[in-house]
Amino acid sequence: MGRLTRRGFLGAAGVTALAGCTELSTSSAGDAGGDSGRATGTDATAACPSAVTDGSPPPGSASVGSGDPFPTAEAQLPLPMSPSALREEARSGGPPKDGIPSIDEPQFVGADDAPFLSDRDVVFGVVRDGVATAYPQRILASHEIVNDTLAGTPVAVTYCPLTGTAMGFYRGSTTFGVSGRLINNNLVMYDRATETWWPQILATAIPGRWNENPDVRSLREFRLVWARWHDWRTQHPDTRVLSTETGYARNYNSDPYGSYTPLSGYYEGGPTMFPDLSDDDRFDEKAVVMGARTPEGAAAFRKRSLREQGLMTGELAGTSIVAVHDPRYDTGYVYQNPAERSFSVDADCGRVLGDGERYAPDSLPLARVYTFDAMWFAWDGYYPDSTVYE
Amino acid sequence: MSQTSGRLDGLGRALSRTREATLLTVRRRDAAAVFLATTLAYLLAYLWAIGHLAPGLGGFELLVVDGALAQFLQQARGPLAFRPVARVSVGPLTYLFSLNTAIGAVIAGLVGLNLALSYLAYTSPAACGIGSQSAGLFASLPALLSGSACCGPVILIVLGIQASGVLLSAFQFLLPVAVLALLGSLVLVGRQVSVQAV
Repeated sequence: MGRLTRRGFLGAAGVTALAGCTELSTSSAGDAGGDSGRATGTDATAACPSAVTDGSPPPGSASVGSGDPFPTAEAQLPLPMSPSALREEARSGGPPKDGIPSIDEPQFVGADDAPFLSDRDVVFGVVRDGVATAYPQRILASHEIVNDTLAGTPVAVTYCPLTGTAMGFYRGSTTFGVSGRLINNNLVMYDRATETWWPQILATAIPGRWNENPDVRSLREFRLVWARWHDWRTQHPDTRVLSTETGYARNYNSDPYGSYTPLSGYYEGGPTMFPDLSDDDRFDEKAVVMGARTPEGAAAFRKRSLREQGLMTGELAGTSIVAVHDPRYDTGYVYQNPAERSFSVDADCGRVLGDGERYAPDSLPLARVYTFDAMWFAWDGYYPDSTVYE
Repeated sequence: MSQTSGRLDGLGRALSRTREATLLTVRRRDAAAVFLATTLAYLLAYLWAIGHLAPGLGGFELLVVDGALAQFLQQARGPLAFRPVARVSVGPLTYLFSLNTAIGAVIAGLVGLNLALSYLAYTSPAACGIGSQSAGLFASLPALLSGSACCGPVILIVLGIQASGVLLSAFQFLLPVAVLALLGSLVLVGRQVSVQAV
């Protein structure tokens, strides 16, 4: 599939999305709220409080397709090509359907009962109703999907090792499984109610072997924070952690792809495991970007640059955006900033200054856009028209 | 016709000598030692290659999953890669038990026999032929390479090679190819062993 074709479809999808949605995507809507820690006025002089926003309120009745077993977004997210063309890009990763088994009855332990985690281990964190939960990368590398319930809301916590993406989805009354297919090296999930294929990063239904003609719509998402265990635990001493008692006999000390502690193997660099859709080599394929996308478009900030600069500005689908690094977790947040308000970073306290007030990096008084870590090739392959900043 | 008949006779003799030589490995203590040591070493190497024997999280534990029998034949990471149904943690090492242990044991046994027969052929004064003693070692390699991980063989990461559909398909055949190669190599070596001479 040629690049022009993909770009053409992205543009068409964007126009369609614009016609049906005037607000941020459900993604971004879903990325607001939660246990935000906003420090203003006198709070600004206090020690930096711990806080992170997981995202979203539980899905309400506004979800499109209320008869569906899962809530879907009000507007479809952009695709790099037509859904049927995406299906043609799907390839077997080796395992059959559910050959990589999702965790469907997760158990949790306290932070003190998780000696299997070292300080530098990667966890995917979320806070819901004041309860912090960490999902260790070393467990998800073997399962990729955890069908969980957070504060009474059924969710799917997902991770694709080959694209370095951790994303949360509302799953309604169904569960998600691993199809065994990959597109752009990215996990293709399937829901067990309609057997529709859902490429993880795209979060949008495409035709597949088990459901040839699904309604093309997007899932509702919530943010997972990619963090080191030490950082997460420091901010959330009472966090619970996904237990290694998953119901499966696995060696959770063994990641077949490599390691993040220290960085090695597939994660360190080199070629992708399978052919990808990216043809932009401005960065190393495995370089990490903080990607933000709405139904209108996409933007990415190189994570290393964001870490160094603390705050970066850019544009997403014609609207000004601001990206902020959060040193507490070494992650980033992207906000829409249509009024182009001025912000700066107080590096001493990891706060953002704006309008004479100080804000936690996850709590600027702006609409936040759903943002996640991704390897460069994965982002560029799926969002070739994305604006990119470094 | 007579040529075909002659070939069949030759094959029959080779198989017969291989069978006798195989039995000899049991009777000769030194050959049996070679067989056992090689079999064990290869099985450990195979389990290591497929990730079923590796450094673990520590501690001492035996875990058997619910419905182990039902899961025993379930395909996991790819063709001929089956779902582990038990985990044994012994200090720094963790072993995962699956049908692949049985598959590995069969291949390891063939490798062990190959080496034991090569040993007999080498020590037998009546042995002849050049190079076929080492055929078993080469034949043992495909099975080691078949150790695959989810979404692609680990060996590809090590070599920095991108997986293609053709390559993945080829990996499916590594185990069967290994078994056939080991059987062929066994006959090649076994026919050189003169039971009377050793």
